[in-house]
Amino acid sequence: MNVLAWPVLLPLFGGSVLLLVRRSLVRRWVSTAVSAATLAVSIAIAVSTFHGEVLVVQMAAWAAPFGITLAADGLAGLLLLASNVLGLLTVVFAGSSLQHAPVRGDSALLNRARDAFGAQALLQFLFMGVNMCFLTGDLFNLFVAFEVMLLASYGLLLLGGELPQLREGFKYVVINLMASSVFVVTAGLVYGLVGSLNMADIAQRVSAHGGDPRITLLAALLALVFATKAAVFPLGFWLPDSYPVPPAAVSAYFAAVLTKVGVYALLRTFTLMFPSEHGVPTLLFALAGVTMLVGALGAVARRRWRHAMAFANVASIGYLVAGVFIGTHEGMTAALYYLLNSVAVIFVLFLVAALAERIAGPRYREHGHLGLYPWLGAGYFTAALALTGLPPTSGFIGKFALVRSMLAAGTWLPVTVATAAVLTGLLLLYATMRIWREFFWGEADAVHRVAIPRAMSGVTAVAVALLLSLAVFAGPLYGLCGRVATQLDGNAAYRAAVLVPDAPPREGAH
Amino acid sequence: MELLLPLLAALLIGAGVFLVLSRALIRLILGASFISYGVNIAILLAGEGERRDAPPLLQLSGPYNDPLPQALILTAIVISFATTALLLVLALRAYQVTGTDHVQELADRPDPVRSPIVYADPEYPSVSPEIGTAADVDEEGAP
Repeated sequence: MNVLAWPVLLPLFGGSVLLLVRRSLVRRWVSTAVSAATLAVSIAIAVSTFHGEVLVVQMAAWAAPFGITLAADGLAGLLLLASNVLGLLTVVFAGSSLQHAPVRGDSALLNRARDAFGAQALLQFLFMGVNMCFLTGDLFNLFVAFEVMLLASYGLLLLGGELPQLREGFKYVVINLMASSVFVVTAGLVYGLVGSLNMADIAQRVSAHGGDPRITLLAALLALVFATKAAVFPLGFWLPDSYPVPPAAVSAYFAAVLTKVGVYALLRTFTLMFPSEHGVPTLLFALAGVTMLVGALGAVARRRWRHAMAFANVASIGYLVAGVFIGTHEGMTAALYYLLNSVAVIFVLFLVAALAERIAGPRYREHGHLGLYPWLGAGYFTAALALTGLPPTSGFIGKFALVRSMLAAGTWLPVTVATAAVLTGLLLLYATMRIWREFFWGEADAVHRVAIPRAMSGVTAVAVALLLSLAVFAGPLYGLCGRVATQLDGNAAYRAAVLVPDAPPREGAH
Repeated sequence: MELLLPLLAALLIGAGVFLVLSRALIRLILGASFISYGVNIAILLAGEGERRDAPPLLQLSGPYNDPLPQALILTAIVISFATTALLLVLALRAYQVTGTDHVQELADRPDPVRSPIVYADPEYPSVSPEIGTAADVDEEGAP
């Protein structure tokens, strides 16, 4: 059962070893091997959770409400699997892109300096934090996991020390510091009011508390923190400028996974800990509709590859949060399927953007790259269809199911958000097809071919293949998402597995 | 005590928010530190109410304070220490690069245009010999 600790321990030890390795090539291989091992463990965990099992480890054998609990249900397994697949791809892509800089001169030196000063080690620490977020069953430990993840992400965002990195990095650090302060004080208040930090235990004590307004306040504070991390509308202003500044592979992983960690925490908060709260989820549902539109409009307005993609990511977060908070089983199933689609499609779009920036710089304005790079065009077109939600891609399946479950809810708010979702799809279609017209289409003038390293194009091809496989295996995957959604409804299995009945009664409990 | 500590937490967090909203980077960092102190006191207060009879492993008698919030504070102190150190280095670096620690000037400064941009193409050798080619950088990478 100790298998649950390995997705946290392997990147920790791997990252520490990477700090000591001096040769760049050895670092690449060690990092790849560590990520591959973490992925193998994650697959093992995910497969057993998909059979309906809830894996639990009590650290140092302290029984549930007293010790630190690691637990994996279907949701954690799904996200662990997705994030570690992307982690392996990111490590390979980063190893190649840091070695083969697109521009000669100071940029090449800068990228090699990034590699020499621990980019690979920081990536491993980032994976450790992300895996711990998905596995922990303890609210305060979730805070620690967030901090591990955030400190690694500060390092990756700032490594290199260019002016845009410093400017956006400062904003990013300060915003996250404020959110973390609110998080830690909320954890303290939860302990003061409820008397426990174990999530399953909190759930039981909260249901005993009844409709206490102070519980609603705690839920709202947690929602504030996690919505900031997930970049939900009024709190997501920091994302579109900060995600494009680190190296390409890093920003791809940030966009595809880190915002989803916020969504995961929201999901845990409102399905496991505070399932009887209704006001805050309704507010988040309404804000998710605005988030979609803001993201799509931003993607239309931006003229740089990764800036436009960062806004597309915001739009995709909007769909996801809306799906999570529809409040029906169908909505949750659709949201989980859309989550997989969103992770894959955003990752592909950022990788394509990285290759395109390598070819023609950060702006998409030179015509006629399709003739020289037909496969890059094919990858972009697939991802653009999946982002917009057009058949035959997985984006269509996810969005269709989301909009249908919103319309099935019937009242005015879900119908309004469904309208926003369809409108966002049209705006995203406009944004992606404009990039297609301005970058890929047209006559090639003064464009010459740039060699793309094999590892980079290979990783992009694998990512596109994963995206396509989401559509090809949509039937079994959708069934799996349905089972995970059933598990999340009430979380009886999770609570039973974490809180073993023969645990000693808690002293002084009220 | 009942009133003093909440007031102190409120004062620290209020001063911290005021400083974070100012435009000098160093005051911003001080503000972040004040907020984390205030937060720590707030957590300490959250553990005040529950007094237990005996610690879990010891056979002592008498009321004692709940140790868990103090363990939480210890963790939070370590994390905020690391973040403050990072922010200080970041502010120093920003000052070295731009010559200012003013937030608005940092935001208004245009991104440096990297020139000359020469794309890595074997057909077109680098036109800027003073920068050198990719082959000049050694395998270890550290300049």
